[in-house]
Amino acid sequence: MEVMESARAALLFAYRDLLRFWKFKHWLASQIVMNLADVVIFAFVFNNIVNRQYIPDYVKFMATGVLAASIFASSFSIGREVGAEIRREVSHYLLALPAPRYALIAGRVLGGTLRGLVYQLAFIALNVALVGVPNPSQALAIAYTSLLLSAAMSALAIAISTSTRDFNLQATFRALTYYTLFFFSSVFYPKEVLALRFPQPIAEAVVHTPVSLAAEVYRWGFGYSSSVSPTALLEITAWAVALLAAASLLYARNVSGK
Amino acid sequence: MSLPRDLEALLLLVRWDLMRMWRRKIFVVMRVVWFAVQVTVFGLALSAMVRFRGVIAQGIDYYHFYLLGVYTSMLFSISVSNAYEVAEEFEEGIIEYHLSLPIKRSVLTVGRSIGGGLAAFLFTLPMYAMVLALMGGGPPLAVVASLGAALVFSVGVVGLVLSIVLSVKSGDATDILFGLIDAIIIRLSTVFYPSVVLARYAPYYYAALANPISHFVDFARTLFFFEEYRALALADPLLMISYLLGFAAGLVSAAIYVVERKLEGGGWR
Repeated sequence: MEVMESARAALLFAYRDLLRFWKFKHWLASQIVMNLADVVIFAFVFNNIVNRQYIPDYVKFMATGVLAASIFASSFSIGREVGAEIRREVSHYLLALPAPRYALIAGRVLGGTLRGLVYQLAFIALNVALVGVPNPSQALAIAYTSLLLSAAMSALAIAISTSTRDFNLQATFRALTYYTLFFFSSVFYPKEVLALRFPQPIAEAVVHTPVSLAAEVYRWGFGYSSSVSPTALLEITAWAVALLAAASLLYARNVSGK
Repeated sequence: MSLPRDLEALLLLVRWDLMRMWRRKIFVVMRVVWFAVQVTVFGLALSAMVRFRGVIAQGIDYYHFYLLGVYTSMLFSISVSNAYEVAEEFEEGIIEYHLSLPIKRSVLTVGRSIGGGLAAFLFTLPMYAMVLALMGGGPPLAVVASLGAALVFSVGVVGLVLSIVLSVKSGDATDILFGLIDAIIIRLSTVFYPSVVLARYAPYYYAALANPISHFVDFARTLFFFEEYRALALADPLLMISYLLGFAAGLVSAAIYVVERKLEGGGWR
């Protein structure tokens, strides 16, 4: 019975976060334009100077990569809000509600996950139009990857945004996370290019980061590449579980001020 | 008011903006760190996959091309971030406080434009030094001229910021407008690709041609790598610096117009 009530509370938190998603439509619009500009301007023009030996079509390559970036942008919107709640001490009100702490944490992460999936829909359509239509098993792999990546990024965003009360520092931490996750990934460049510039162990490690793994699944899912590592989905699952556990513990600590 | 009093007020306003930047030291350090990651990871990887073809001369080092481009985009973004500061000042009533000071509106606007531009310029100096080191240095004249152009450029961008934020008088509109400006204007410029590549797409090319970012970055590239880039640059260096001076003077004048004619009476949404 208690479990059911906790689940209901978590769902309520998630529903509240999903409704509040539309409140930030201006911010959302600018994020969508930024992600779109990466494909329709940057990739389109850059395609003319890319070495075809590494990337035959940079527009398709970036379109699938932007899918991972879009998950990050939308999932991190929950981080912005949870960070603002800590600054304005709304978190005290949330802690005083008759719901267990784990329900609050699960609800916030679920809310962020749903936001990520909703936001990604437009970019899924863009990929279907630009790259290709996935078959049922590929569509399943794409959905599973998006779900896990969105959950992991939301949890990470919440943990990072609540680690300080300073608004500028919160924004800077978020940007640092973005740069670390995306520059050390295969979103903008393939692993062959990374191997040219960086020592082998680094280039090899980059392939196994969550964002790189997701980009690889998307590239295979939409038909840009013909194969994907057989362990990719397993690795994404392991990353998601680890990030969710660590970030939830951190959020629990930050929100209660311990 | 006399000229000395105007100049004194101008200096006070410039100091206001510099003090504001000084209070954000940690922010500066973190920005420098992520700039270092950007030029050493993203820049190196990007340059490894670029191969210039066709009309573009062979032997151009894309990494050098990228370094000056990414510095320009950073200077632009930091100058644009003044928009959020001004919006915050509006919400906190600091703009009204400034208007109540015994300072001419035109002096107030010029002071804030120069102060904001100078703060953004100083903020990005460590990035400039990093770029210079990665390029293996450069002729002293090129360094001085590019720094002068950077200051003019950032003053112009702050003029643009003041004109827009103080015209729209809305936090939400500021958020979306500058999010869009930051995302689109950098991509529709010669920051990441030369103008001859953009010329394949007429709307993109003409947008880049009118874009002050393209003029500043191509001017800097021509200063440091004249032989390699003179054929690729958007225009003659004298034309580009004239464009930047006109941009700064025009946008600061527009900001003066907005502050003198549109600002009075509040109305912040």
